[in-house]
Amino acid sequence: MTTPAAKTTPDPGVATANHLPPRSPELSDLAVMIGGQGGDGTLTVSDLLGRYFRKRGLYIYTSRNVLSRIRGGHADACIRASRDPIAAVKAEVNLIVAFDKEALEIGRSELAADGWMLYDSSSFQSDAPNAVGFPFATLVGGVVGQPIFKNTAAYGAISVILGFDPDQTRAVIEERFAKRGAEALQKNLKALEIGRKAAADTPGLANRWHVADGDAHNQILTIGNQAVALGFVVGGGRFFAGYPITPATEIMEYLMRYLPAFHGVVRQAEDELAAVNMIIGAAYAGARVMTSTSGPGLSLMTEGIGHAGTAEVPILVADCQRVGPSTGEPTRHEQSDLSHLAHLGHGEYPRFIVAPGTVEDCFEITVEALNLAERWRLPVILLLDQALCQNTTTAEPFDLSKVTVDRGNRLTSEQVAKMESYAAYQFTPNGVSPYAPPGTLGVYSQITGNEHNEMGHVSVNPVNRVKMMDKRMGKLIHAEPELPVPHMFGDAGAKIGIIGYGSTFGPIREAQGLLDRAGIRTRFYNARTLFPVPSRTLEPFLASMDVVYVVEHNYTGQFAEMIRAALPQHHAKLRSIKKFDGNSFRAPEIVGPIQGGR
Amino acid sequence: MVQSVKPVPSTWCPGCGDFGVLAAVKKAAQEAGVPPYDEVLVGGIGCSGGIHNFIETNGIHALHGRLLAQAVGIKLANPQLTVIAAGGDGDGYAIGMGHFIHAFKKNASILYIVMNNELYGLTKGQASPTSQLGYEGNVEPPFDAILTALSIPVPNFIARTFSGDPKTMIQVLVEAIKFNRANRGFAFVEDLSPCVTYNDTFKDWRARVVDVATLPGYDPSDRQTMFRLCTETMHSGKIPIGVMHRPSAPDPSMPGLELKLLPDKIGPAVADIGLATNRGAYEKLLRAVA
Repeated sequence: MTTPAAKTTPDPGVATANHLPPRSPELSDLAVMIGGQGGDGTLTVSDLLGRYFRKRGLYIYTSRNVLSRIRGGHADACIRASRDPIAAVKAEVNLIVAFDKEALEIGRSELAADGWMLYDSSSFQSDAPNAVGFPFATLVGGVVGQPIFKNTAAYGAISVILGFDPDQTRAVIEERFAKRGAEALQKNLKALEIGRKAAADTPGLANRWHVADGDAHNQILTIGNQAVALGFVVGGGRFFAGYPITPATEIMEYLMRYLPAFHGVVRQAEDELAAVNMIIGAAYAGARVMTSTSGPGLSLMTEGIGHAGTAEVPILVADCQRVGPSTGEPTRHEQSDLSHLAHLGHGEYPRFIVAPGTVEDCFEITVEALNLAERWRLPVILLLDQALCQNTTTAEPFDLSKVTVDRGNRLTSEQVAKMESYAAYQFTPNGVSPYAPPGTLGVYSQITGNEHNEMGHVSVNPVNRVKMMDKRMGKLIHAEPELPVPHMFGDAGAKIGIIGYGSTFGPIREAQGLLDRAGIRTRFYNARTLFPVPSRTLEPFLASMDVVYVVEHNYTGQFAEMIRAALPQHHAKLRSIKKFDGNSFRAPEIVGPIQGGR
Repeated sequence: MVQSVKPVPSTWCPGCGDFGVLAAVKKAAQEAGVPPYDEVLVGGIGCSGGIHNFIETNGIHALHGRLLAQAVGIKLANPQLTVIAAGGDGDGYAIGMGHFIHAFKKNASILYIVMNNELYGLTKGQASPTSQLGYEGNVEPPFDAILTALSIPVPNFIARTFSGDPKTMIQVLVEAIKFNRANRGFAFVEDLSPCVTYNDTFKDWRARVVDVATLPGYDPSDRQTMFRLCTETMHSGKIPIGVMHRPSAPDPSMPGLELKLLPDKIGPAVADIGLATNRGAYEKLLRAVA
């Protein structure tokens, strides 16, 4: 039982501990979950910890569990720090900091056996084992006058428990709050000391764990959505229209900041119908364009994307997948749009679906996708997922040296002047017609979603129809060698294969490490092109394996089904590891089935 | 001279009101001094939406109801282009209503012509948002685009013309295109364009149209006055036509959207996106991510 006195006595020395676990050794990989009601400042604690860990050269990865509401309700963040590169949520949490009871309840199931829970005993009590109560709000309220600084006090207590360097702990507060003015900074520094003293004065609490320093000093801190926005800018993207939707909105917000400096335009449209049609108009006029959305918006854009496919207008559509269908779970993670995207829309038209696995890859593939769209004059889908889009992670600085801008066969007025004739839908061996945007002197372009002849005039001629279908659909075959190749990891001679895309990259890489330690060798095919199904690289991969696990976040095993359909000769080797509870994979959830031979 | 796309013969019924618009658009673009290769016609879906195929110009045939979204995208991608969107009343006031309202608010300097025949012609005569009560069993009162347009407080150019009066139509379209080319914002012209096949209203409309400029107190810079003049005319069984809103002077705080976003009128479609040109700025941008 906790001591009720803790609630009323603002004595920094009073802590309530049910059970103090034995000291643990130095950690190289640590996860702290901070939870509370919206407005409790849990994200600030996560941010402060992140800043400290980065000073110590650690890689960090932060996931958030937020509800679809602005204020109130439970929200938590889980920050992981590691000496090795990470791109996944840690399976076990070492330390939970709870400002509400829900945080304890949610966190308990993921708490490591020797983990601790720190909670604000000024608002509730807990008799859970390993729970330590501190009256953070009361302590801070008594000294600083405003209990809201309890989050900084919690950071102070954590810093003592994890044996942080006191000067660097303080420096983090100074960096974070200096801009808010001297008064805010002083209050936070006071709150920090209250938290530090409370933990230090509690016997057996200080230096419970020591986090080893790392050498990740040249890393940036970013999210997939920012990487996509930056990739778009440096890839020559200049026109973006979108509609706010979780978890895609940050792409639009970043571009609102970036694009105006480059003759770029960002428009928040009245709906997704307008957004996709605005980019179609802009692409027709000759701009490099993109929209970003999530499931519900994607459904609305579907007609427009088909229009771009048959009108041969190059557009890029980023789909930041979340739990569907309908409104689903707007803030939660899933990868369940793939089947829809592969068959998107009525009628038949070519589209490419590319999927980055890391934030660095978000940057690179966005550039590549822009080139592919213009080179092949069709819609390209950039398939993302909530975890990749929004989880904060350390990453290699974005590399401009890999960026190329290839506008395909785009005609200038000078080139046109030397031509005898121009037709926007001219038949060519690879199906791609040279294109002169409006404003090009000497020629006109007529573009339409109706079936059309080479000139762009409506045609229902059966011979023309067949030729035009062959022209467009043939791009899927002609372009295949140019599509993003998979990234391969692990043992080239392994007989157990793993296939995954998007944010499953991180958990799969971690699972490979765990399997390796258990003597199980695996080879990971990180798919970066999902449609057309990359048979050219998948076939030899599958052929060389005894068994292949397809890891994905949906109920039906969508990518596995697509692979089966494309390469039926290997169907018996394929197993699915699926998760669709709204959370991203933890490495052991991938290790388990593989180790069990399921 | 390089050969490119030529106009095809129109698919409209003989006597269709849309022919008036076709002729007027051709003439008005010339009179307003639009450089030929800088013109873009955006067609909607429906009989009227085919207009871009019947003129020698650049064209894009938009999805049903989405022509305004595409037209705004074109204008913002390249403000040098003169963008004319043209479609029917079903396209604009039914399936495209959301974009219609927002076009006034966005205020990009494009011209939007709605050929209003008060029905769906291409699908063979169903009631549209502007159909009169009783037409094909219609029980919903007609929507009035001019009154709606007048209710949105943005300095747009708003007019209604009649296909039976091509001379006035050309004058109005010239003014609208010049308004656009001066980057003053959105121009909306509803043309009363009878469907001679399903509901030939030429005679009826000719008898009922009233040019608002002839009414006492006419002041196209004052929305309230124009709203009153229009409703009074409608109540008397007449159809108001003419220039319904014309801002008295350019409002520097409310220019066309393209000018707000791209003051130098160099848009995304013509900007130099080459790596060599932008490397320094890109490096700075990437360095800011820490």
